[in-house]
Amino acid sequence: MFLLNARITAMREVARGMAVISIAAPEIAAIVRAGQFVNLGWAGVFLRRPFSVYRADGERIEVVLKAVGRGTSQLLAMGPGDVISCLGPLGHGFDLEAGSRTAVLISGGLGVAPMPLAAKEASALGMRVTWVHGARSIDELCSESAGDEVIWATDDGSRGIAGTAISAAPDGDVVLACGPNRMLAAVADRWPEALVAVETYMGCGTGVCLGCAVPLTRGGYDRACKEGPVYRAADIDWAALPSHLSYAVTV
Amino acid sequence: MTVDMSVAVAGMKLRSPVLAASGAFGYGTEVPLLDRRALGGMVSKGIFLRPRTGSPPPRIVETPSGMLNAIGLQGPGVDALIRDYAPQWASWDFPVLVNINGESVSEYGDLVGRLDGVPGVAGFEINISCPNVEQGGLYFGNDPRAAAAVTEAVRRRTTLPVWVKLTPMVTDIGVIARAVEGAGADALCAVNTFVGMSIDLNAYKPRLSFRTGGLSGPAIRPLAIHLAHQAARAVRIPVIGIGGVTNAEDALEFLVAGCSAVQVGTATFINPRAIAEIHDGISAHLELRHLNSLAELPRYLPRD
Repeated sequence: MFLLNARITAMREVARGMAVISIAAPEIAAIVRAGQFVNLGWAGVFLRRPFSVYRADGERIEVVLKAVGRGTSQLLAMGPGDVISCLGPLGHGFDLEAGSRTAVLISGGLGVAPMPLAAKEASALGMRVTWVHGARSIDELCSESAGDEVIWATDDGSRGIAGTAISAAPDGDVVLACGPNRMLAAVADRWPEALVAVETYMGCGTGVCLGCAVPLTRGGYDRACKEGPVYRAADIDWAALPSHLSYAVTV
Repeated sequence: MTVDMSVAVAGMKLRSPVLAASGAFGYGTEVPLLDRRALGGMVSKGIFLRPRTGSPPPRIVETPSGMLNAIGLQGPGVDALIRDYAPQWASWDFPVLVNINGESVSEYGDLVGRLDGVPGVAGFEINISCPNVEQGGLYFGNDPRAAAAVTEAVRRRTTLPVWVKLTPMVTDIGVIARAVEGAGADALCAVNTFVGMSIDLNAYKPRLSFRTGGLSGPAIRPLAIHLAHQAARAVRIPVIGIGGVTNAEDALEFLVAGCSAVQVGTATFINPRAIAEIHDGISAHLELRHLNSLAELPRYLPRD
């Protein structure tokens, strides 16, 4: 785990209101695994904010974000040269094992966050990667993708298949998913063995505060920041996990 | 010149006046980037006799300059603590105090009885101030007779240091402080979190599943300094200041206000190096003022 004062090197828009930020963090980039996250801090927020690592290229890591509240709006207003505090890599990512032939990646909205790295790791293990890439409409659909095949899905049919990413998804030897918790609950119904990256409020990100409790089907809670954020879908008690995180007043 | 940063709290010698507050370091086994030389000691995450699952999520919410938490004292229970954690503490070069919780006076006593003499357990912090449990906790902390009864029950079971952690949710903290002192406490910790609430304007309901939570962070610091100061004026035993300590200046404010040491909690979530930076900042302050030791720091503690 590293705590770095890291420079933002680039920022690009990938959908309406959604941007990818590149951060110079070579120590983290060298070891981060798909599904792991960094906890970012900057002047203006009190607690750090967790972000899945989107890509890593040896020198830089990337995270993807959207303005969902005051903090993320501040981060989006920053630019190349600005320095942020970066703690990571944190959490337990997707445990991909050699031997599977096909991997299906399912993302909803900002759930694209861990997918490019997951696609890279799955490809490196010899899997054929299909990324089913969903959002409400073409405007909110991240324009970037990876893998051998990409299936686009929008609720309003403005790009690709009309419907949810889940309804558009084929079966695969391994299914990975990330998106709103209610989408992941539906993934769990269809693929109990899927590996899903959940979203929770988070305090420390390092396992000590117990703020990011994830309710388990076997009873009790564990920590999204330590045992998670990636879980076997059937292991989560979806009815007890908040289906939606309320960051700010929405209409 | 090296500044002597050591402090003795009711006979317990600490190499630094900066301690990790209960809940900040868990059981000390998973602390990121820990810099031991700066750490005076650690108070464990609160423990009950039996395992507790804790509260449903959401458990935390950010607030202006602070956070609300309602973890609900999730923990493995005393058997697991003795089996899994205390043996590790026994080899550490700083003392670990166990934060003690109960639903009844006798449960507090029984828990301390179980832990007294276990290698690795250096003392106890009696939590009569947790706002996030249905039974016990805060109830014992805002009634001087109940606070004294818990302290006496614990005192009878151990000769190790007994620190009592006070709640700020009282009319006069001096009354509780004196009651606990009279019942045999070795030191006071002031203060635990304030009870707070935050409302989700999408759902029109509280953001925390427990409805209320404990407010911590810089938002409570001036309130906490005042309460720690009031407690220190009311008693002769040492007071350990807690509440929104983020940097060395914050810690020095508590120390000057009459505290012997400070505990740091929420700040460590944001800055894993907070305790080391606070320690080094206090040392630098003393050196700048040509003081050879922490003991020479002037205190503002007029007696009533």
